[in-house]
Amino acid sequence: MQSTAKSAVDTDISLEESVSAWMDGEASEDIFPDLATAHGRRTWDTYHLIGDALRNTDLAVSPSADFHARLARALDAELPIVAPQRRRSPLRLGLSGLAVAAAVATVAWVAQPYIMGGSSRPAADARVLADASAPEAPGLRDYLEAHRQMAGPSAVRQVSFDAGAGR
Amino acid sequence: MIAQLQQFCWPVLGRGGLIRRPAQGAGWALTAVFLVALSAMHEAARAAGPAQAEASIQLLYDIQQAARKQDYAGVFLYQQGEVIQSSRLVHVIDGTGERERLEILDGQPREYLRHNDEIQCLIPERKTVLMEPRRGDRFPGLLLGNPTDLAQHYEIRTQDNLHRVADRQCRLITIAPRDGLRYGYRLCADVDTNLLLKAQTIDASQGVVEQVSFTSIRMGGKVDPAELSSRWSTRDWKVLQPRIEPADLAAQGWRIPAPKGFVAVMQVKRSMGHSNVNQLVLSDGLAAISVFIEPYDTQRGHPLSAGAARRGAINIYGTRIADFWLTALGEVPAATLEQLATSTEYVPVSSQ
Repeated sequence: MQSTAKSAVDTDISLEESVSAWMDGEASEDIFPDLATAHGRRTWDTYHLIGDALRNTDLAVSPSADFHARLARALDAELPIVAPQRRRSPLRLGLSGLAVAAAVATVAWVAQPYIMGGSSRPAADARVLADASAPEAPGLRDYLEAHRQMAGPSAVRQVSFDAGAGR
Repeated sequence: MIAQLQQFCWPVLGRGGLIRRPAQGAGWALTAVFLVALSAMHEAARAAGPAQAEASIQLLYDIQQAARKQDYAGVFLYQQGEVIQSSRLVHVIDGTGERERLEILDGQPREYLRHNDEIQCLIPERKTVLMEPRRGDRFPGLLLGNPTDLAQHYEIRTQDNLHRVADRQCRLITIAPRDGLRYGYRLCADVDTNLLLKAQTIDASQGVVEQVSFTSIRMGGKVDPAELSSRWSTRDWKVLQPRIEPADLAAQGWRIPAPKGFVAVMQVKRSMGHSNVNQLVLSDGLAAISVFIEPYDTQRGHPLSAGAARRGAINIYGTRIADFWLTALGEVPAATLEQLATSTEYVPVSSQ
């Protein structure tokens, strides 16, 4: 029972994969019989739409400001899809990786998910960095100083402030 | 007084509801009367609200003006966690405008000499004068962008009974946030001059995040303008002028959603030792957030690690977005920064 389900997934993916490969000019003539089916036609249309959208930015709709962030979070929350490993040529692998990168580049980048050892409340886990006079985290001092210069309503003055702009 | 009454009433109501059985009609009738009375008091409080809020906002505005327009000199103490730092401040108005001298009294000597919007930071051990642009008001001023919007995000109350700070009578103002995105504040302003004598930043659990308070202060005619002159002679010192240029992060493809109530007050590009860094400053009138964006060095990474960190009263959140590193920091709760950082998007501007 499980094996049949698996093989069904397998053939589905292979059809889409081979349509994509065929469009990329990697000839595999044996897809034509599959294209005659309704599913084959849908796959064919979908992959041509994807190709058009990738080539022409006019076809790409611009979603609302929060859409990408929500999508990225939803993807993060998604369970990983476990599919059986199939043999494929290294060239094909590389190409699909590039295609994915290109697709993302035309949309938006968001923050890389930050995994806090399974904790869902990073605010409580904030690392407490050393206090004002400590020499570590020299990078941080510049940021604090820049913040203080531009927006410090309180009296925070970095005691150990180096002449940052001079370096 | 109403608040006290409410505090008194609620526990009584709660207990009554739990213990008494529904059969005891008299108890329920009493409870209903209580509830009606309570809601009436609520209405009364709401009606009195706007006028009170307006007066409180006017007081905040007066505090800001007092810090700018009066002569004062004194020593104030800044305390955060285990760190205490005291500073001597002299502020004098003369024919040319505002003059201010601030000396750091602990640790390495520093002096900040201000003439209107121009600040010189004196670094004696390097014989260096660092020129700084001036942004916003510092203690005893308030940041205050547009005071009228403050009431949307804070509940501002003035207390009638007087307190005493640095041997002066002062009026307590509590500024409570209406959401979890920002801290609250407790201010004490001089009764005669409205000058801010003490300010505390309060977190959600009513703990003091940081505080600053005058320990001694003189005002008006008791301030000698001679106190403004520095004890250092900076004639042969090196003068550094940091390169700070205006920037437009939105035009570069950055979509940085400001937390509710915060607006962008400034965007600049500045050199920070290792590289050019873009800085966006967001403020809600009292609190400020800086968002720094710089190219990410894929070989060496970034000196700050990803995620939330905290240094003193300042929370920090760092993350990588595409080939950039974003650092958000400010005197706001860590969750505010995390939300900002994780919902920021970078959409590369197409080279058309």
